Amino acid sequence: MSAPTQAPQPALAVEHLAFSFPGHAENSAGRLYDDFSLSVQQGSILALMGPSGSGKSTLGRIMAGILSPQAGEVRRSAEFRNRWDVVYIDQHPINSVFPWQTVARNIRYPLKKLGWDPAQRKERICYLMSLFRLGALADAYPASLSGGELQRVALARCLSWKPELVILDEPFSALDRKVKAEIIAALQELAVRDCITLVLITHNISDALALGNRCVVIGQRPVRIISDLEFSKGFPREPGAPDYAAMQQALIAGIRDGLV
Amino acid sequence: MAWSKPNARKWMLLGALLVLWAAVSGARVVDPIILPTPWSVVRAVPVMFRERLLSDIGLTLGRVLSALAIACVFGIPLGLLLGYRLSMYRIVEGPLHALRSIPASALFPLFLIVIGVGEKSVVALAAYPSLLVILVNTVSGAALSNKRRLYQARLWNLDTLDTIGEVLFYEALPRIFDGVRTAVSYALMLVIAVEMFIGLGERGLGRGIYEYQATYRIPETYGAVIIAGIIGILLNEVVTRLQNRMLRWLPYVHEEQ
Repeated sequence: MSAPTQAPQPALAVEHLAFSFPGHAENSAGRLYDDFSLSVQQGSILALMGPSGSGKSTLGRIMAGILSPQAGEVRRSAEFRNRWDVVYIDQHPINSVFPWQTVARNIRYPLKKLGWDPAQRKERICYLMSLFRLGALADAYPASLSGGELQRVALARCLSWKPELVILDEPFSALDRKVKAEIIAALQELAVRDCITLVLITHNISDALALGNRCVVIGQRPVRIISDLEFSKGFPREPGAPDYAAMQQALIAGIRDGLV
Repeated sequence: MAWSKPNARKWMLLGALLVLWAAVSGARVVDPIILPTPWSVVRAVPVMFRERLLSDIGLTLGRVLSALAIACVFGIPLGLLLGYRLSMYRIVEGPLHALRSIPASALFPLFLIVIGVGEKSVVALAAYPSLLVILVNTVSGAALSNKRRLYQARLWNLDTLDTIGEVLFYEALPRIFDGVRTAVSYALMLVIAVEMFIGLGERGLGRGIYEYQATYRIPETYGAVIIAGIIGILLNEVVTRLQNRMLRWLPYVHEEQ
C-alpha cells in the first residue's frame, strides 16, 4: 500500500473541476465540486468510494462527458480517438440496453453501428456470450431477465466494442454474492484481455476490494479526496486471501479518518 | 382462446341486452318504427347484402384506412422529429393545439371548397384529426423517452435518422399506439358522418344508414348501425393485435395464449 505512482500518461484526468447542479448555490462553498482533481492511470482498476449522495455518480458522469463541469477540464488520453472509447454504464442496467431488442441483438447493435465487419462481429459476440453465460438467453427480451442476467447483458453490450475506459456505476448493488462473484471474474478477464481501464463506483468496501487496485474515497462538500490507497495486484481477492484483511483494515481506516 | 370467467360474463351481458331488446320490441311496448324486433333486423341483413352492403362496407373501410395511412405516414415521423427537437415543437405547439381544438366536422365546408367534393375531401377530413392525435401522442412519447438510452445513441455517433428510426421510434411506440387507437375511432366516426351528409357518387355505410332511415327501412337502419359498430370493434382488434406483436418486449404486454 504505497502512495500511487504517477504514470507518464493517465487514461483520464479531471483537473480543477467545479460543478454544481442547477438551482444549487453557485458560490464555491455551496458547490458539489470545487477545484477537484483526480487522474486515472491507464490499465488500472480504480474503485471510487463514498457515502450515498457524495457525488460519485456525478463524477462518473462528468468523466464520461455526459455532464459538463462549470469550470476545470476532463482530459482524455490522446490515444482515445473516439467518443465511444469512454463509456459510462448506468447503475440501472435497463438504461444501458434497448428493451425492444433481444439479448443477442443488444450485443450486436453497437458493433454494427460502429462498423465492425461481420466476421469480427460474430467472433466477438460468441466470446462475450460465453464469457457472460448468455447463450441460453440469446433470444430473450430484457424485460424477461433477472437482475443478474440483465446486468450481464448490459456489461456485454457496453464492453463489446472494446472501449478504453469503462465507468461502472454501482454495478453490483442489486446482485447476490454468487452472481456478483461471477460478474467480477468476467470483468477481470475482459479488463486484462482488452486492456480496459475501469472505474468502479461503489459504496461497498468488499466490492472495492474485490476488483480495485486503487481505491479513492471521496466525501464532504465541496468534495475532496479523503483517502487514496493503492492495493497490490493479484486475483482473486476473497476474504481469507493473503493481505485481504490488511487491505480491508487500511480502507476502513482511510474512510474513518475522512469522516471527521 | 380460453373460455375464461370475465369473457363469459361479457357475453352474458350482451345476451341479457338482446333478451331485453327482444322482450321490449316483441311485446310492442315501443312502436316498431322506433325499435324493430331483433329478428326483423336479422332478416333484413341478407337483403342488405343482396343490395349493396358489401360495396358500402368496402368503400367506408377503404376511406377509413386511407385516412389512417395518411395520418400514420405523416404523423409518426413528424412527431418523432418534433419530439427529438423539442425546441422546434415549442414553436409549433401553440398553433397545433389551436388546430386540435377545432372540431373536424366544422372544417368540412372549408375542405369542400379547398379540395372539392369527392373522395379526397372525405379522406382528408378523417385524416386531419387522426393525424393530429397521432402527432401529439408521438411527440410526447418521444419527449418522454429514456435519456440514459439516448446517451448511448450519442456515444456511438448515430445520425439523426438512426436515432429517430432505431431508438426514438421504439421509445415512443407505446404512446404511438395510444394515438393510433384514438385515431381509428376518429376516422370511422368522421367518414360515416361525412358520408351521410354529402351525396357522393358512391355511397358508403354512412350514406346507407341515412338512406335506409329516409325510406323508413328501420330494420335495415338498425342492421347497418350494428355493422358499423362491428367494423369499429374489428378495427380496434386489429390495432390490439398489432400492438401486442410490436410491443411484446414491454414487461406488461404478453403474447396471446
